[in-house]
Amino acid sequence: MIEISNLFKQYGEQPLFNGLNLEVEKGNIVVLIGPSGSGKSTLLRCINGLECFQKGCISVDGQKRYGVNEQSYNKTDEDSMVKDIRRKVGMVFQQFNLFPHMTVLNNITESPVRVLGIGRAEAEATAISLLQKVHLEEKAQNYPAQLSGGEQQRVAIARALAMKPEAMLFDEPTSSLDPEMIEEVLLVIKDLVSEGMTTIIATHEMGFARDVSTHVIFLEKGNIVERGSPKKMFSNPKNKRTKIFLSRFMK
Amino acid sequence: MYKKLMLMIRKKSIIQSYLILQIFCFVICFFITNTFAYQDTLEKVKSSGVLTWGFDAEGGAPYVFHDTKHPSKLIGFEVDLVAAIARELGVKVQHFQNEWDSILLSLQRGDFDIALNGVEITSDREQAVLFTRPYFVYAEQIVVRASDNRINCLEDLHSKRVGTLYNTVAKQILDEMGDVTVNTYSGQIEPFKDLSLSRVDAVLVDLPIASYYAVPNPQLRMAGEPVGEGYYGIAVRKEDTALADELNIIIEKILRSGELKKIYERWGVWNVSQEKLFFHEGLLQKYTEMPPSLSKKVSLRVTTFLPTLMKGALVTIGISILSMMLAVVLGLTLAIMRLYGNKWLRRVSTAYTEFYRGTPLLIQLYILYYGLPNIGITLSAFIAAILGLGMNYAAYESEIYRAGIQAIPKGQTEASLSLGMSRRLTLRRIILPQAFRIAIPPMTNDFIALFKDSSLVSVITMVELTKSYSMLAAASMNFFQLGIITALLYFGMSYPLSIYARRLEKKLKYYDRNQ
Repeated sequence: MIEISNLFKQYGEQPLFNGLNLEVEKGNIVVLIGPSGSGKSTLLRCINGLECFQKGCISVDGQKRYGVNEQSYNKTDEDSMVKDIRRKVGMVFQQFNLFPHMTVLNNITESPVRVLGIGRAEAEATAISLLQKVHLEEKAQNYPAQLSGGEQQRVAIARALAMKPEAMLFDEPTSSLDPEMIEEVLLVIKDLVSEGMTTIIATHEMGFARDVSTHVIFLEKGNIVERGSPKKMFSNPKNKRTKIFLSRFMK
Repeated sequence: MYKKLMLMIRKKSIIQSYLILQIFCFVICFFITNTFAYQDTLEKVKSSGVLTWGFDAEGGAPYVFHDTKHPSKLIGFEVDLVAAIARELGVKVQHFQNEWDSILLSLQRGDFDIALNGVEITSDREQAVLFTRPYFVYAEQIVVRASDNRINCLEDLHSKRVGTLYNTVAKQILDEMGDVTVNTYSGQIEPFKDLSLSRVDAVLVDLPIASYYAVPNPQLRMAGEPVGEGYYGIAVRKEDTALADELNIIIEKILRSGELKKIYERWGVWNVSQEKLFFHEGLLQKYTEMPPSLSKKVSLRVTTFLPTLMKGALVTIGISILSMMLAVVLGLTLAIMRLYGNKWLRRVSTAYTEFYRGTPLLIQLYILYYGLPNIGITLSAFIAAILGLGMNYAAYESEIYRAGIQAIPKGQTEASLSLGMSRRLTLRRIILPQAFRIAIPPMTNDFIALFKDSSLVSVITMVELTKSYSMLAAASMNFFQLGIITALLYFGMSYPLSIYARRLEKKLKYYDRNQ
């Protein structure tokens, strides 16, 4: 479903990824863990076309996007390719990024109506059912500022789902939430993955990672240090640095 | 509820006390400037050896103007006349350049000792200043394009567009005719320029001006005989009778000696009419009694001046709204060019903003109205006014929008793009609505500033509120009450705008957490 091959990315002179490879099968739940600055967010943003990269190829459901220094790179193709990829993958941000000038309902219907050309009535019906799924149907007419952080993030998830994506990317979805709100968001994500949605999550919630994931990847300074099943990674990590990192979280 | 009421009361009293303060300042200024005038001027002139002469040399040929060969030197028949007077008084002349429109006002204020600059003796003016015996007999002359033979006398001017100078007898004559569209100018060159450009059908001005500018220009011709004869007099302050008597003796002397005739002949302004200067006594009386329509006093009753001011206010509102609309559309385009355009669009936008912000609006207006005809583009005054104001303010608006757009967090764009929206859609649906709210307070500021700056368009013959005021005030010599009423009119128009903007801002604030 998502295939990353030989990914090179650098910020100015500062290299981040040096030939990173990753394959995500349909239905996989991949959790990215690692210290801050290890490249978890950047990897997700590369997949979604919010960041460019120098070399390598990212393929989503057969749509290939090349690094800017690759021979196959073409600016015009790039734009339409990114558009196609974005329609296939939804993204949820650490800062929610809801549109403050629109009601919850309009936040969700805006893109289906404007981009997919779905009728307003139909889009609203879908939005309401998605809000039910995240237990916020009574907040449909509220503005984002009237919602708690946890509620905002659940609306953001519903908003991404409204575009009917085939995969979801979560970029530290609970990192800017108060502890008591983390659980409600994680429950929604759990529901989602139990339905078989292909998912990549960057997170620091290790317990959650162990419970829901099919694959765990430990990133450090842009390199995949270790990868494996959650059982193997959490109970018996091979790499010394993985051990040190996990020991800080698994007390 | 109580709190709200208190707030209202406090707000109201702030406004009230502000107004009272303003009126108070006006009154103080009024008195301070008046008190300087109470010294005997003739004595002062003789003891100091200096006669201060007030005039306007801007486009002032052949009266008093800058010599094109030696631009620092003033020449003209009035320069020679004042030199002769000063010689007779045994003093030196000190020059005082003053807007012609307000020359009598500055005389009253005590800025100079005499106003001698083609000031026609009218009974209105005699209420405010003291005139000497006439030193020149003028008449009004019609000037038309050489190719135009429709106009040959005053009557032919009916339902035509005619240019003339502010605050002159010619203007009064045209106003009395009722159906003449009058374009008024401050300078003497501009009406002839507009006549050549067909912006007006004819120009009616004092004969010396007409002969100086129209005779050498093959495109123009003088139509018919001069009309509406009258006199120029030297104006002094009302209490300066001694000075006026002395000046009368001097005029009599240089008239009898033939020196005056020599001066006038040198400048080509001597004609048979000037013979009347010898018998002025009877004639002058006849004049001040005679054309009663011309000396009709502008009274201070609300019914007389309010319609004129209101008409000016309407022009002000129309120009402000239309030019603000232009400024908003153009400003937004410039901001988007600068933020999202390629290298060249960015450069064009930056250059535009820097140029329009860095040059005076007044000069931009002059270039649009009087400069563009040189390259074949002749705009009407109304269009030039809107373009001038709108294009100038667009530079400021673009910076406001740019700041507003940049203030929207990057996450908004990213979220929108990740939902499959295009950049254009993101800008239109997500960024601009949020940026707009941020931009409302500075936009309101700019609109109010533009509203007041609109008074500048009077330089290109638009008669808006400020010009209506200065014309009424100059005619009635009442700058004080009319000024306060005009200021109140401006305030009455701009204050509701501030209130509306504040409401709009509040309304759009609904999504903030602390509402």
